[in-house]
Amino acid sequence: MEKKIAVYICTGCGIGEALDIDALSKVATGEYKAPICKQHGFLCGQEGVELIKNDIEAEGANTIVIAGCSSRVNYDVFSFGPDKIVERCNLREQVAWCHPAGDEDTQMLAEDYLRMTLAKLKNLNLPEPYQVENMSKTVLVVGGGFTGLTAALESAKAGYQTVLVEKEATLGGYVGKMYKQVPMKAPFTELEENGIPALIKAVEDAGVKVYTSATLEKTAGAPGMFDVTINQNGSTVEERVGAIVLATGAKPYDADKLGHLGYGKYENVITQAQFEEMAVAGKLEASKVAFIQCAGSRDKEHLPYCSAACCIESMKQALIVKEKNPEANVYIYFKDIRSNGQYEHFYKKAQQEGVIFIKGDVTEIAENDGTLTITADDHTMGTQSEADEFDLVVLANGMVPSAALGDVVEEPAQDEAAAAAEEPKAQAPTIIKANLLNLAYRQGPELPALKYGFPDSHYICFPYETRRTGIYAAGVVRAPMDMLYAQEDAVGAALKAIQCIEATAVGQAVHPRSGDMSFPEFNMTRCTQCKRCTEECPFGAINEDEKANPLPNPSRCRRCGTCMGACPERIISFKNYSVPMIGNMVKAIEVPEEADEKPRILVFACENDAIPALDMAGLNHLEYNPWVRIIPVRCLGSLNLVWINDAMAKGFDGVLLMGCKHGDDYQCHFMKGSELAEIRLSKISETLNRLGLESERVRATTVNIMDYDKIPAMLDEFAAELEELGPNPMKDFQ
Amino acid sequence: MEQNNKPVKYDLNFAREIYNLENGSYIKQCMQCGMCAISCATREIMDYSPRRLFNLIKLGKKDEVMQANTMWNCTSCCTCKARCPRGVPIIDVMHDLKKYAIQNGYADYPQAAFYKAFWAEVAGRGKVFEGGVTARYYLLRGLDEVKKAMAMKDVGLKMLKHKRMPLFPPKKIKGLGNLKKIIKKAQEIERREAR
Amino acid sequence: MANKSILVVGGGISGLTAAVEAAEVGNEVFIIEKNPYLGGRVSQLNQYFPKLCPPNCGLEINFQRIRKNPKINFFTMAEVESISGQEGNFEVTVKINPRYVNEKCTACGKCVEACPAERANTFNYGMDKTKAVYLPHEFAFPMKYAIDDQACKGAGCGKCAEACEYGAIELGMQAKTMKLNVGSIIWATGWTPYDAGKLSYYGFGRYDNVITNVMMERLAAYNGPTKGKIVRPSDGKEIKSVAFIQCAGSRDENHLKACSNVCCLASLKHATYIREQYPDAEICIYYIDIRARGKYEDFFTKVQEEANITLIKGKAGEVKQDPETNQLIVIAEDQIEQKVIEKKFDLVVLATGMAPNTSMAQIPCEAAYDEDGFVAAAAPGIYATGCTKSPLDVASAVRDATATALKAIQSTVRGQQ
Repeated sequence: MEKKIAVYICTGCGIGEALDIDALSKVATGEYKAPICKQHGFLCGQEGVELIKNDIEAEGANTIVIAGCSSRVNYDVFSFGPDKIVERCNLREQVAWCHPAGDEDTQMLAEDYLRMTLAKLKNLNLPEPYQVENMSKTVLVVGGGFTGLTAALESAKAGYQTVLVEKEATLGGYVGKMYKQVPMKAPFTELEENGIPALIKAVEDAGVKVYTSATLEKTAGAPGMFDVTINQNGSTVEERVGAIVLATGAKPYDADKLGHLGYGKYENVITQAQFEEMAVAGKLEASKVAFIQCAGSRDKEHLPYCSAACCIESMKQALIVKEKNPEANVYIYFKDIRSNGQYEHFYKKAQQEGVIFIKGDVTEIAENDGTLTITADDHTMGTQSEADEFDLVVLANGMVPSAALGDVVEEPAQDEAAAAAEEPKAQAPTIIKANLLNLAYRQGPELPALKYGFPDSHYICFPYETRRTGIYAAGVVRAPMDMLYAQEDAVGAALKAIQCIEATAVGQAVHPRSGDMSFPEFNMTRCTQCKRCTEECPFGAINEDEKANPLPNPSRCRRCGTCMGACPERIISFKNYSVPMIGNMVKAIEVPEEADEKPRILVFACENDAIPALDMAGLNHLEYNPWVRIIPVRCLGSLNLVWINDAMAKGFDGVLLMGCKHGDDYQCHFMKGSELAEIRLSKISETLNRLGLESERVRATTVNIMDYDKIPAMLDEFAAELEELGPNPMKDFQ
Repeated sequence: MEQNNKPVKYDLNFAREIYNLENGSYIKQCMQCGMCAISCATREIMDYSPRRLFNLIKLGKKDEVMQANTMWNCTSCCTCKARCPRGVPIIDVMHDLKKYAIQNGYADYPQAAFYKAFWAEVAGRGKVFEGGVTARYYLLRGLDEVKKAMAMKDVGLKMLKHKRMPLFPPKKIKGLGNLKKIIKKAQEIERREAR
Repeated sequence: MANKSILVVGGGISGLTAAVEAAEVGNEVFIIEKNPYLGGRVSQLNQYFPKLCPPNCGLEINFQRIRKNPKINFFTMAEVESISGQEGNFEVTVKINPRYVNEKCTACGKCVEACPAERANTFNYGMDKTKAVYLPHEFAFPMKYAIDDQACKGAGCGKCAEACEYGAIELGMQAKTMKLNVGSIIWATGWTPYDAGKLSYYGFGRYDNVITNVMMERLAAYNGPTKGKIVRPSDGKEIKSVAFIQCAGSRDENHLKACSNVCCLASLKHATYIREQYPDAEICIYYIDIRARGKYEDFFTKVQEEANITLIKGKAGEVKQDPETNQLIVIAEDQIEQKVIEKKFDLVVLATGMAPNTSMAQIPCEAAYDEDGFVAAAAPGIYATGCTKSPLDVASAVRDATATALKAIQSTVRGQQ
């Protein structure tokens, strides 16, 4: 597209009072030869928008620069169709509202921002969506238990072809073997018949293609074009699917490890699963039964987490004992009763039926004359207690996700050269060979495991977020949960799978850059096979051939730009985001000579959190250092070190990276962006020192969206430290 | 509180008996929150809070429960019942426990004698005569208590002076016979319902 | 032919999620929100448990998704008046209440300088004031001012209109109604903190230093009434001790029968707020059961280890005030020690629970409610989600809303066959 640039400077909201607009216009018309440059007192008003629309129609303007407010507001007003480039230059929140009006430095800041915006346009083009070939809209559900069946049914009900793979010979999973279910609806007091047979029938009626006694031998490809090899009883079948729901469930915690509670020692100490078996077989004849909660769970020696479902499952089983024998005595030993939410009614129901709840820790289980005796510390009695003549003790033995069962994939041994270089590296995510998906991915065969092996999302706001695009974990494989939660989880994961399919079909990214149509393109002729992009991609989007050439999978890509930041040869670019594009912005900034005593600080700020925080600083009229020039980046992970070289060569006195918190509670929406940027910084310090530049000039800091009050001090402190270091000696060599 | 080293042993037989009292089954739904312990007007003189008492019942500690002063110190102010998050009608349970204690020979508490005296007055006269209640109470409690009563004589005299305690019994109510029939019938129903 | 669009009533985290998730599948979506901004209750939270990250971060992403998606339409200050029709083809009448500020508002803030009237700031639960013309909060989306007609002096004053350079103030604005045709409806009107005034024994409303958990969020937030400094409301003094009273209203048949699911974790989170500002403050949590289910157990463990809190097993029964010092005395039975204890605190935080808004304003259509006031079932094509369905934490509400988006889409598919 031949760009015809039109620049519109809004003088409303205090911008006109703060700046010399005519001088600013000259930047556009003089320095950058913009054919159209106009100013208006109320650009977002009807008249202002008409002005722009007229120029689009009459003058053929197709690349519109709005120099006014932040892109976080009036996004709808300044939208002129998909074939127009619109760039916003933030003169309001980042200039007029946080810097003194009429000041020389404020003017310089505004002019630089306009230069940066115009320079950015040079390498900026409208993205063309990536089209998957032989696109499949089929949803694959792995696991035919309660969650998997639900996900498959709901996906089919939404009109999508659905394939279900179950490794056992029969569908139903753990729940299928239950005698009865916990209540799933108001009033949350009545046990329900096992719903699995009806669910299986519904799945069959809905036309779901079911493979039993089948496992996934291999999952290759990408969203819209996953090719899965299904091994059914030894023979293999291929299916092409669009997205995957992983619902492989959990296993009860290994009761053999609960010898201290008498398991394995006494025949009548059983697990929750064994209880269900007995009940189904009609062999449940007990007149005195104890349930031991947190048998394994909430125990540092076993499962540090709470398994979430056991309290209400034990209540259910206690009620089954009572149903079979109303005269039976039933005790539940617990730490805390976790009948969260409306299951409080179920707790009360169990109490009303005469189940005795004892808050205490079981210290010993022993057998006397064929019955069991339990000794415990009774917390609310403040004493040791004893109860005997139990003919059954049921251990609520918690759950372990199926994704956690297997060996951890070891990092491949480094070759000698790499080992010698000892480059600092981000910790690769843990992959456990659980034999669930067998992904043909460079980064390992399964979803990355989070704490305790759950492939959970780690985001409160985005619980289905996943590090392998198009694959959504649901149910107890994802996190410990009860059946009601699992039911909803299954439906939600089915939605996400369908959504990924629909986005892929039109070449759009999924969360968090939903709708983004840009994707990275590789100039392979210059690739040195350094593997950085394939290793660092947080989503495992890039495979490798045997010669270590990267093999990108655009529909797996989440468009964060981490690969672009990682690439030392700068061969990876998006149509609208690239190394030269940001480089041009850096180079467009005018760095005054040393004698002018106007230092310059370049800030690369994450557009998800740091940029809104900077906007908020503006909204609150918090004044901050005028030497600062801010460049938004998709994620700090996309930071390419050449930009820092450019900045230093240009004479910037310092560079600050504003990214998201990392570590265990990371807030980076691309997992590791800010962490990777810091690791890269550590690599550049040596280079800087060699150039006679102090490595302290380049620094990374974490800023969350609420830190706007801290930003002025943060920038002032950095400026003060730079002042101590003195000006960048490269400054006047420009 | 028991702090000896010997573990206490749970026994559900007693709990079942209590659960079968008129309001006894409500105890089962106690979730041991302790609201009653604080809302109780006489909490400072109770051996156990209602919560602890219910816990003891649940675990079968018959002697501790029956020998506790908890139910006897309940003034039926109703605050605990109004505030109990699980809707346990605590004062009604307390009444049941008092009755059970009397029926099962755990009537050592002075309040038990008072209840008996009060009941005898009401059932016999249809009205309360304070002098009668007092006399019956002390007689029920035995000779030592009569001595204590003498020590209280100043209080009695003051009450007389302020006309808070009449010297002579009031007239019996009209239709006392009918009242007695009503009581008899009620007792029959109660026996029948208790099976 | 069924209508493929979906109406989402309520623009809090559940409604936003349901809307965005459905729109990203390809359905057109309308969001109806009664407040002048989207985001609902979560925008009033300082941090989320267990990551202690700012809710505005996630909201920002969701607003970004709205900004970029032309399939999402939203209306603030709006409420549903009536619903007719059936699954696949509903006609909904929506009333849009006057904001008195039109779309020309640039959020420049000149009107606020001119406005002579004040109102209690509902965003901060009345703990401070704004002018009658106000920006609901700094992250307000849309970033437009609004006028509170209860506080505004009306057209006779008109100072804001004079100050506005953009003609954005319309003091004569009237309520409007509009009709929407949709294939299915998602009801996500959320919850209200249970009225702590009904728990007379805790002294809320009588004692200034008894606050609720939602107020604690505002006290801890930088954009709250105290710039994020947690102090005693009675005199602005620093805090040396604080008590959290769990199940203040929840798990209580006289109030909210159900457990509200989030309060244990919220109080544990609040303990971290206090600890961050006061390394030596005494923090006590009075509880019946600590319900840190699933992996939230890690957060419980972490707070116990790092924040040095005292857990007291026993529901607090009463709060009294020392009239001399304004200190509060919390009385509870410590069940582990088997004795009644009275402890003094500078601040008492009531962990009040969630009352579903559907227990106050029902869906204007055929629907069944459970004994807690949550929606048990509604007419085909109408789905409750989030905290109108059950008391949920944010992650669970989002999960539920995502699931509900699929249910709503199924309705639009079904209606087509």
